[in-house]
Amino acid sequence: MEAKYEFEKKFREQILQCSRCGFCQAVCPVYGATLRPGLNARGKMLILKEIMDNKLDLSDELIETLFQCTTCASCFENCPSGVNVPEIIRQVRKDMVHIGSCHPAFKGMNEVLKKHPNIYAENEAEDFDREKNRKAEYVFFVGCVGLYREDESTEATLELLDRLGVDYTLIDEVCCSGVLEDVGYRINESLAGKNIERILATGAKTVITGCPYCYRTFNNKPQYEELREKGVEVVHVSQFLKDFEFGVRTDKRVTYHDPCDLGRHCGIYEEPRETIRKIAPDFVEMRHNHVDSLCCGAGGGVRGAFAKNSIAMARRRLEEAEEVGAEVVLTDCNSRVHNLANAKLRRQKFRIYNTTQFINELLDQAER
Amino acid sequence: MESAEQISEILKLANSKKIPVIPRGAGTGLSGMAVPAKGGIVLDLSHMNKILKISIEDRLAIVQPGVVYADLEKALAPHGFFFPPDPASGTVCTLGGNVATNAGGVKGAKYGTTRDYVLALQVVLPDGRIMRTGSKAIKSVSGYDLTRLFVGSEGTLGVVTEITLKINPRPPVTTTALATFDDLEDAGRAVSQIMHSGIIPSVLEILGRHTIVAINQNMDLNLPEVDAMLLVETDGYTREEAEYQMEKVIGVFNNNNPKEVKKARSLQDAEELWKARKSAYAVLARIKSHFVLEDVTVPMGKVADLLKGVEEISRKQGIQIATFGHAGDGNLHPQILYDGYDPDQVKRMEAASADLFKLAIDLGGTLTGEHGIGLSKAPYMGLEHDPVAMDVMRSIKKILDPNNILNPGKMALDG
Repeated sequence: MEAKYEFEKKFREQILQCSRCGFCQAVCPVYGATLRPGLNARGKMLILKEIMDNKLDLSDELIETLFQCTTCASCFENCPSGVNVPEIIRQVRKDMVHIGSCHPAFKGMNEVLKKHPNIYAENEAEDFDREKNRKAEYVFFVGCVGLYREDESTEATLELLDRLGVDYTLIDEVCCSGVLEDVGYRINESLAGKNIERILATGAKTVITGCPYCYRTFNNKPQYEELREKGVEVVHVSQFLKDFEFGVRTDKRVTYHDPCDLGRHCGIYEEPRETIRKIAPDFVEMRHNHVDSLCCGAGGGVRGAFAKNSIAMARRRLEEAEEVGAEVVLTDCNSRVHNLANAKLRRQKFRIYNTTQFINELLDQAER
Repeated sequence: MESAEQISEILKLANSKKIPVIPRGAGTGLSGMAVPAKGGIVLDLSHMNKILKISIEDRLAIVQPGVVYADLEKALAPHGFFFPPDPASGTVCTLGGNVATNAGGVKGAKYGTTRDYVLALQVVLPDGRIMRTGSKAIKSVSGYDLTRLFVGSEGTLGVVTEITLKINPRPPVTTTALATFDDLEDAGRAVSQIMHSGIIPSVLEILGRHTIVAINQNMDLNLPEVDAMLLVETDGYTREEAEYQMEKVIGVFNNNNPKEVKKARSLQDAEELWKARKSAYAVLARIKSHFVLEDVTVPMGKVADLLKGVEEISRKQGIQIATFGHAGDGNLHPQILYDGYDPDQVKRMEAASADLFKLAIDLGGTLTGEHGIGLSKAPYMGLEHDPVAMDVMRSIKKILDPNNILNPGKMALDG
């Protein structure tokens, strides 16, 4: 019988390969925050099996389960059977959007992108008092969260790049909806085309992204193939910074949170740490780090659609920072800074920054 | 669910309406124990996850049933103590589940299984009455051993709501070695002779030929494709203590025609030696769409006979069976690999399982060393237990649960 849904056509064997051992439960951030077995990867795979066996249909009733996954890939890393849950979840969500079952938050975001250049329905992007779209060696691509929600952090990153004498330009960037690929929508090709056109117009050979998700999108999605074909390299700012010397240090105890998009999804673990070790001799790892890093709960649309649980996940992460006595929590993703900062409790005295912002602050202090 | 009182109310209601109630921990069991075969209420105990007390001076920990095994380990580590059963699902499984299944793990030979550590329980009975069994004392011979009756009862007699566990100081030093044998007989003899040597290793694991071949086909470990591989760990409070034991074990290996014996010089070396054993489950889990992981257990002297018998069954039923397991306590894991959507293979798998159970019983062993009976082994209970024993078990069930509301359909207790 012909498979009813795309997810079944593409992933049937993988879903059957799930042996229901439940090892994913130990690492699933959504389960960790809710203790609900149905929200764990195993629960989701069981539901999909029921759908394939015609015992259930995809419907609105499954939105809460299937859209409540941060696609952090911890389950995939720990799955004895090698089931690529994030890929499966992405495809199921596409099937759900196709039949009209989607979380209203994402439906809304997708509508917003038809009228605005970003998912926040903001019209005026911050220009950070810098000339945009000029000829330069590098393009710094900020990303939506950095432009519209964490602009202070972005300002600090740009100041740092200025201090380091980097010849970069900003462009009139648009959100290509790449991030909505995680929640059932497709990249908007014409918007992606605008970004490509504007990047190429600067003559830059390297794009530095502030956003790990943009980094993934530029490097992996076919819609950005043209950049790669024309020899434009895309690096994340954490990779770009690793060869610089900053000449400043902090006595504070510093820890680092691996963003899932940078760590598990791209294997970038060491470059951020190389940079941090240069400025923070008292660097400590949290209990879960590198590939085992605990997800902050922001990804996969969970912050937008299930805010309460997203914050609960971020709190679990911050408890680990507290455990090791960190005074500063660094990460390399505006979205993570945003979610972790929202989750911080008053009694938690540490500060949360992007690494770039923290280094810039140290440089500010040194100049004073 | 957060308290015994809440569970009591649920059970009173379920008992009066004759609704089945299935207690559930993390759902990592391997014999279908938490499957609501007859419908009803699945009682998820994972929210009862508080460690109520750790008393080093009394050598005990008091926990709620939903505490994850690894969380107790983490809490005990700063004190230099541990709770030894060490089930493979330790990062996920709950202590309530460990009690219900009498769970074991790689350290069974030296440290026993869950039952050896449960001092006391709080249990809600099917009629809603709340009962305490045992005491906080390490020794107690007061009355019938109700604690042990509930350990391994698979949620058929009551719902455990509080557990008092004996804990052990963790020996800080371990040594690890690995030996390979071209001939299964030699490996079997080595296992028996280790026991004669007076040494009880903290770990003594075995991998059979089919498992080794499967690992080689799927990973770059380049293992020698031999009949059997033995992984051994000894532990102690001093380096000398652990090394002394290991020397004896290596001496036994060398007397039994090993192809190779490797001893770890560092923790990193030890991790290398563990790689094959640790990868076994994941490798085998990916070969076919379905598998059954059995846990037949025989007297230690019969491990080689069991391995040989498994291979004969595999040939006879025409189905792939790869074996690994805990040679140190005679508990092997033949993993039957099959395609669950192919009725012929399902039939072969079922026939192979039945043969395995018969073989284990014929060798003086048991259907299950650590996974429990649940649904999947219920039809074979009569193979191991005589009609009188079955009658006694069913009578106990009837006294405590006359309406058969707790986990019905499991352990062949329905008659």
